[in-house]
Amino acid sequence: MLQTLLPILIFAALAVGAAGAVRRIRLWRQGRRTPMRWHRLALMPKRYLNDLHHVVARDKAIAHTHVATAGGFVAAMALALVVHGFGWRNPILGGLLLAASLCMFLGALAVNRRRIDPPPKLSKGPWQRLSKSLIAYSVGMFLVSLPLVGVAPTVLGGGVLAIVLAAVLVWGLLEMVVGMGWGGPMKHAFAGTFHLAFHRRPERFDDNHPDASPKKTHDVHRGSRSTALFPLDLTAKTLGVEKPADFQWEQLLGFDACVQCGRCQNVCPAYAAGQPLNPKKLIQDMVVGMAGGSDAGYAGSGHPQQAGGIEVGKPGFGNHRGGPTDAIVPQLVEAQTLWACTTCRACVEECPMMIEHVDAIVDMRRFITLERGETPEKGAAAIDNLIATDNPGGLDNASRLDWAADLELPRIQDRPEGVDVLLWLGDGAFDMRNQRTLRSLVKILRTGGVDFAVLGEEERDSGDVARRLGDEATFQRLAERNIATLSRYRFARIVTADPHSFHVLGREYGAFGGDYVVKHHSTFIAELFDGGRISVTAPTQAETVTYHDPCYLGRYNGEFAAPRQVLAALGLEVAEMERSGYRSRCCGGGGGAALSDVPGRARIPDMRMEDVRETGATTVAVACPQCTAMLEGVVEPRPRIRDLAEMVADALVEPTAATNATSAPSQSREEEPA
Amino acid sequence: MSVRRLDPHAERARRNRLHPRHHEFARPAWRWTSADGVTRINPHALGAIGPNGLKRIDRSGAAVEASPVGGASTSAEPARRQVVIDQPEGHVVVVPELPEGRLNDHDRDLFGLARQLADGHDLAVTAVTFLNGVSGFEDAGADRVVDLSAMVTEGYDPETRLAALVDVEAALSPRHWIFADSLPDGGDLGRRLAARLLPQGASQGANASVGDARPATRVWQLSEGQTLSRAGDRQDILRDVARVLLALPECAEPVSETRHEARVIELATMGGELSSAANEVAASGVIDRGRVAVDPQEIPLAQAPFILSAGRGIGDWEGYHHAARVLGASEGASRVAVDDGYMPRSRQVGATGTFVTASCYVAVGISGAVQHLQGIAKCQRVIAINNDPSCDMVKRADLALIADGDAVLAAVCERLGQPRDQTGSDGSWTDEESRHAAA
Amino acid sequence: MPQPDPQAAAGTPHDVKTAVLVSSGRHPVSGRAGRAREDARAVEMGLSLVGADLSLVHAGDPEQASLRESLEGYLGMYHGLDGGRPGDERDGQLSLLPLRAGEDAVPLLAAWLERSGVRLALTGQRAECGEGSGMVGYLLAERLGWAIATGVAAIERCDAESVTVLQALPQGQRRRLEIRLPCLIAVDAVAEAPRQSAFGPARRGRIETVDDLLPADESRLDTGSAGWQWQPARARPKRLKVVKSTNARDRFKAAAAKSSASGGQVLTDLSPEEAAEKLIDYLRAEKILAQDDQ
Ligand code: SF4
Ligand code: SF4
Repeated sequence: MLQTLLPILIFAALAVGAAGAVRRIRLWRQGRRTPMRWHRLALMPKRYLNDLHHVVARDKAIAHTHVATAGGFVAAMALALVVHGFGWRNPILGGLLLAASLCMFLGALAVNRRRIDPPPKLSKGPWQRLSKSLIAYSVGMFLVSLPLVGVAPTVLGGGVLAIVLAAVLVWGLLEMVVGMGWGGPMKHAFAGTFHLAFHRRPERFDDNHPDASPKKTHDVHRGSRSTALFPLDLTAKTLGVEKPADFQWEQLLGFDACVQCGRCQNVCPAYAAGQPLNPKKLIQDMVVGMAGGSDAGYAGSGHPQQAGGIEVGKPGFGNHRGGPTDAIVPQLVEAQTLWACTTCRACVEECPMMIEHVDAIVDMRRFITLERGETPEKGAAAIDNLIATDNPGGLDNASRLDWAADLELPRIQDRPEGVDVLLWLGDGAFDMRNQRTLRSLVKILRTGGVDFAVLGEEERDSGDVARRLGDEATFQRLAERNIATLSRYRFARIVTADPHSFHVLGREYGAFGGDYVVKHHSTFIAELFDGGRISVTAPTQAETVTYHDPCYLGRYNGEFAAPRQVLAALGLEVAEMERSGYRSRCCGGGGGAALSDVPGRARIPDMRMEDVRETGATTVAVACPQCTAMLEGVVEPRPRIRDLAEMVADALVEPTAATNATSAPSQSREEEPA
Repeated sequence: MSVRRLDPHAERARRNRLHPRHHEFARPAWRWTSADGVTRINPHALGAIGPNGLKRIDRSGAAVEASPVGGASTSAEPARRQVVIDQPEGHVVVVPELPEGRLNDHDRDLFGLARQLADGHDLAVTAVTFLNGVSGFEDAGADRVVDLSAMVTEGYDPETRLAALVDVEAALSPRHWIFADSLPDGGDLGRRLAARLLPQGASQGANASVGDARPATRVWQLSEGQTLSRAGDRQDILRDVARVLLALPECAEPVSETRHEARVIELATMGGELSSAANEVAASGVIDRGRVAVDPQEIPLAQAPFILSAGRGIGDWEGYHHAARVLGASEGASRVAVDDGYMPRSRQVGATGTFVTASCYVAVGISGAVQHLQGIAKCQRVIAINNDPSCDMVKRADLALIADGDAVLAAVCERLGQPRDQTGSDGSWTDEESRHAAA
Repeated sequence: MPQPDPQAAAGTPHDVKTAVLVSSGRHPVSGRAGRAREDARAVEMGLSLVGADLSLVHAGDPEQASLRESLEGYLGMYHGLDGGRPGDERDGQLSLLPLRAGEDAVPLLAAWLERSGVRLALTGQRAECGEGSGMVGYLLAERLGWAIATGVAAIERCDAESVTVLQALPQGQRRRLEIRLPCLIAVDAVAEAPRQSAFGPARRGRIETVDDLLPADESRLDTGSAGWQWQPARARPKRLKVVKSTNARDRFKAAAAKSSASGGQVLTDLSPEEAAEKLIDYLRAEKILAQDDQ
């Protein structure tokens, strides 16, 4: 009886699943269309097996579980189609099918064990059921396939047991095949496949990209760090994303690929601080919006401080509703949720499905700012200032160099023949604390004999804050003006102590015709050390320091090594924080979050300072004016906060002394790598 | 101000150049103001012959201090010269603000400006007041006073006042009108008058003589017969003196060396056609419905004139709120106090909160982070109350009291006669009392 | 400051046609064109009173490059109106009355106000560029026979006959005024802060040129300002504390005392009572506390 039933079951499941899949595809295609690039489908297997698994493999146990379950399932399904579906009952294939089912069964057992007492980052509901379904499918497939290799317990041929077996198999097929198309947990495999193929940032998968790291371990980012925000067409009919259908269809597809693994939730600083943002829930909200309905079916942690709460499995969701053409804010997602994000990209870095949370958040912010004019108060003030004075403080831009009156900084205007280094000061030039850092940096450059100059009052804010707050119009205006200014002068490269300027100038101006070699000061100082152009005295007393990776230097631009190199050159032992490098926790100051200032349970910089304290360090080295400001805002007593430039400048051996004390290599300018 | 009494002995010595102490008493005559208002200095009258026969001028003023001129009130208040103008050619009318019924500094500056316009042209400076019983016009520099208090009601009634001023215009045809350019008072009235005096359609040209009929607003300087008014977009306008001047504070030095008659005149006696101000009231377009009580806590922080700001050094928050109520101050807070949840975010002062402009800022228990100090950069007076004399807030403050904030605030309330209800929320007190009771 | 909701209190003031006279602003630091601060507050007041029914008018030189930039700033405020339902929102509309340099805006504006049937006109107290005399409102009121009130911080209520406003007094104090319609209201800098000017609505807002208000042959030249010299604003000298003394030493001491006072006075070893007394004395001396508080 099963012999006749099986093909019917399999094909029926496939047909129903396919119908669901078509419907799902329609949902994605509600988004803004872009030209279809079908050939990208061919890229999928590599992206899946390679890039995705590298991220998953940061957690070994899960990686093995996933390989066993997913691999087993794909193999078992394919073989079952041949063997049971088309009836090519070959014993060898049967054996392989058995092996695949067994493999899947083992994986499913591991999944099941994890589900006995799941960590809070995981969702319950259908996801709790999935492990059982996996077992059902694998067991069912195993048992129905036994006759193929001749060990057929004849009892299976008919009677009650056969019906039970068929039921189990139906359950498995429903979950695995029908559910895949109709939005069950297995949807992630189906959507994920297409998502990987049509990802909006293909550079992320490009191992041969010039930016890609040559090292290929799980801990390094694989392809290029494609982190620049996409430019917004300011002549478009609506600006930014108001309703789910305003997303590009690839973005909707991406949301659908989420497996609710909660890795993003675990690393999100805003979530940890109790601000009403859970990136995982946000992605699920987008899925709700795309499909229409309410979030009542969501079974994970919600946005803190909102209905549903953060405890998993508590009822309470259902207040937020959405539809593909309904406004997202505030019915589906509250504005505070969007403004809480620091754009630290920790979630993106961690997401195994390569979902782009930050793009989505900024897209929605763009609508709020450009169309609704509802940027949080201080953010709006900063934008107004940027429009009027080119800096967020509303200060006279001509006073940008006031702090350096005694330093007599060389002006690039006086150097028509060009300079090696254009020192980009950033808005830190208006901040008394950061002026100390800049002084130190100038001292280092002078000691190293670097040929540098500054733009002075012609320098404007890079537009970072405006862009992250969603004001693309102001950003583009600033970018255009800065690019026009820069085009008038000649310099080999730009050096800046501000990772935000570094990122924007280096990565985001390209789209507007500004291509520059930009170096963060940590990189540049490390090069000066390498070239032997500066030397330092050994520290007089041993001190434990730790280093805080700025998001816009590390995760955004992959510079983890240079700052550590500089600290090593200073002879300092770095006690790393648990979350450092690509997993560094944000200081809370990025993305305009310091301006929107969404209240939470704790403050993000306080939490970061706790991380610092845990290492026992007495000094935390920083490399960003924003991090400095945020961390210095932590109430004393606390470890000292010092910029790398300050630490180097203090230990610097003056050039005259250098020639006596150490046999420093010649400091001629010709040696410079131009 | 004390009235200078004549010392007959000194007077005699001053007149008699042969008097042995003549030079002591003659000293003030080295400098005087001439009839045309110019300060004159006689260098010969200065100084003394030194032991080597050379004349020495001691500009330190030490000798003056030593000399007993004028008896007890030596140099605190120099004598003013009485100026009387009996038959003025015309009038320069000043309409002072008189907040709280007194001349304020701005008013005195207006009179100073008026004197510059009047002196030397045989014009009288005439004060027009809507209040009676205002004193001090003599020293401020008014030759005449017109009291219009009978024609207007108390409260805000710009239209009736305008009508009254039109009467003055009819009676005196003043050469110039001077108002304080402050809204909503003098600046409003002055503009109303200017708009009324400007002939209809005159602003459109044709009649070239109306040039000076256009009021000069925000006048801040008078020099060489022309006024400088501050215009928009960082510009100044230099123009002939207009009929109606709306002047900013410090537009001129107040009168300090002369004393004037302040003779009260009646409009009716001055001729001219008087409209009845009372008639206009019926058609009044603006009716005063009275003052509205404003809770200092509801004034936006950025505008609050007086802020009592609290930081980490506050332990007794109830006491602090009470003190703010007693002092009538708006509440502010440091970032830390906000982060710790004692104060709402909207009350945070500083570069990361609100930039405040209070004329007086009292920081209690705030150590003064850079951002906080940036936020109070525009405050005129800063008072710090802090335990730590080395903190940055103390360095910034105009007055720093090194003491415990809670205790000082409690003492302030006590002193102002509104101690906090001690048996109420203050637990420590009741504890102590009960211990006393038990003992 | 509690901002009363004028609509709730007065039913519907929508039948009172309301307009805001806007001007081109200059940023105090950079001098760049943008919304004028008080005018923007006037627009905010108008929008919260009548929503998108509010009309805007500006008399200015249409050729001027920065004009569109500053006017768009006001049009960008037309959002979040009419219940905030997107799609329902109407774009802002501004009437531009062309005015060449040296022409007088008052007759134009008066003609426009009369023609468009406006009964409540709002404006800032003083323009940020040009003469900035703050006279336009008064001249208009005089010409049209309207009532005028200045320094208005909020509109409390508005009906067909009159409007009740709160006038700002120094130190955050308020006075309630009732003003007969039609009237002109000059909005104070302490009024409710203007909403953000958003790029999208600013881009969509319409600027409509109205150039048939006055007979073409009528001379509108403004001759009143013919003899004026314009010059860059000079910094005003800071007045030293005036000491009524002919005595150089006293004057010198007073002048020196002021500049050295920046260090501040630090009083240590005080009991709380002494400190409280010092504080109260200081506050009284600075006239922050009334002399006699009892
Ligand atoms: S968004 Fe990515 S990291 Fe977050 S739950 Fe979904 S799959 Fe996991
Ligand atoms: S970017 Fe950072 S703050 Fe924003 S959602 Fe992701 S992890 Fe959270």
